[in-house]
Amino acid sequence: MGWFVPIGQVHLLPWPLAAVCHPARLSDLGNLAQVLWQFLSLSLFSLGGGNTLLAEYHHLSVEKFCWLTDSQFADLYALAEAAPGPSSMIVGLLGLGAAWREGPLWALLSGYGAEIAILLPSTLLMVMASLSWRQMEHSPCRIAFQRGLGPITLGILFAVGLKILRTADSNIAGVVVSVVVCVLMLRTRISPLWFMAVAGVLGGLGIINR
Amino acid sequence: MTESGRAATPTCLDLFVGMLQVALSAFGGGLSAWSQRIVVEQKGWMSNEEFITGLTVARLFPGPNQINMAVFIGASFRGLPGALASLAGMLLVPFSLLMLIGSLYFQLHELPAVDRVLAGVVAAAAGMALSMGFKILDDYRRDPVALLLAALVFVALSFGHLRLIPVVLVSGPIAMFWYWPRERSEA
Repeated sequence: MGWFVPIGQVHLLPWPLAAVCHPARLSDLGNLAQVLWQFLSLSLFSLGGGNTLLAEYHHLSVEKFCWLTDSQFADLYALAEAAPGPSSMIVGLLGLGAAWREGPLWALLSGYGAEIAILLPSTLLMVMASLSWRQMEHSPCRIAFQRGLGPITLGILFAVGLKILRTADSNIAGVVVSVVVCVLMLRTRISPLWFMAVAGVLGGLGIINR
Repeated sequence: MTESGRAATPTCLDLFVGMLQVALSAFGGGLSAWSQRIVVEQKGWMSNEEFITGLTVARLFPGPNQINMAVFIGASFRGLPGALASLAGMLLVPFSLLMLIGSLYFQLHELPAVDRVLAGVVAAAAGMALSMGFKILDDYRRDPVALLLAALVFVALSFGHLRLIPVVLVSGPIAMFWYWPRERSEA
C-alpha cells in the first residue's frame, strides 16, 4: 500500500503552500470574491452529478483556503451523505465551515452563498438546455458530448473515491470498513444509512478510530 | 407541449409547492422516484416520456442530477422563474435542515464522544465514495478506449497532481473527437 500516506504529510499541490496555512477570512472582500469565483467556475464542471467535484472541494477548503482540517472535511462529507436531500448540498456545509470562526450569522450567509454560487451557472445552462433540447437532441455535437463525457466521469469518480478514502481513513481499520461498505454498496440494495449507522456505533465503541 | 386532457400549466407557486412536496416525501431517500410519482402520476403535469427526457437532459448537463431535474420541470412550464421556483421548493427544507446539522456539528465536534462516532460514520461514507466509480465501470467493460481515457484522467488527477478543470478541458475535446458520430444512421 505504498500510496496510502496520510494526506497531512504530503502536499499534493500544483503550487507551493506557505509553511503555515492561515484560514482565508471571508470578511475580506478580496477573499470573498475569489472564493465565489472558484465555486462559480467549478459549477459547469460538475459532470455526471455533483460528486465529481468532491476532490476540488477538498482542495479549496483544506489545502488552498485552509478553512477545514482533513477530518472536518471528511465529517462534513459524511453528514451531507447522511442528511436527506441531494448530497451535493455539501457545498453549503463547506461555506458554513469557512466562515464559522466569524460568527454564526456570517457562517449561515456564507453557507447559503456558497450553495447559490455552485448552483447558479449550472442552473442557467440547464434552463437553456431544457428549452432548446428539441433542437439539439439529434445534433452530432450533443451525441459526442454525451458519449465522451462517460469515460471522463468514470476516471474522475475513481480519483474522487481515492481522495475521500485518503482523507477519511488514517488507519487499517478505517480502510477495511470503507472497502467492506464499498463492496456492500455494489452487491446489495441495503440503504447506505444502515452502513453509516452501524459504523457510527462501531466508532462510538472505539473499534474504529482515527 | 400541450395535448388535450392534460392538467393546466402549473404556476410558479404550484411548482414551488409541488417540489416542496417531493422534497418532503423523499426524506427517506428515492428523490427521483418521488418526483416522478408526484409530477407525473399525482399532478399530471408531464407525461412519463417527457419526464424521462428530463432525466436524460438532467444527467447530461453539469450540475447535480436531482437539482437539474427540478430545473427542467420548472423551466418547461415557466422558463427561468419557474426553474428558480421549483429549485427553491426542492432545496428549501433539506438545505435549511443541513445548515442546522452543520451548525450543531461545528458546536459539538470537539466532544470526544461525537468525534468517536463520526470516525466510524466517516469510514462508511468513504466506502460510499469509493463505490461510485465501480458502479458505472460495467458500462465501459467492452470499450477499451473509454477505459484508457478514464485511466488517463484518473492518473492525471490522483498522481499527476493536476486540477479538475484543466484535465476536463484537455480530455473533453479528445473524447468528443473520438466519439463523434461518423456513420449516418438516421432515416
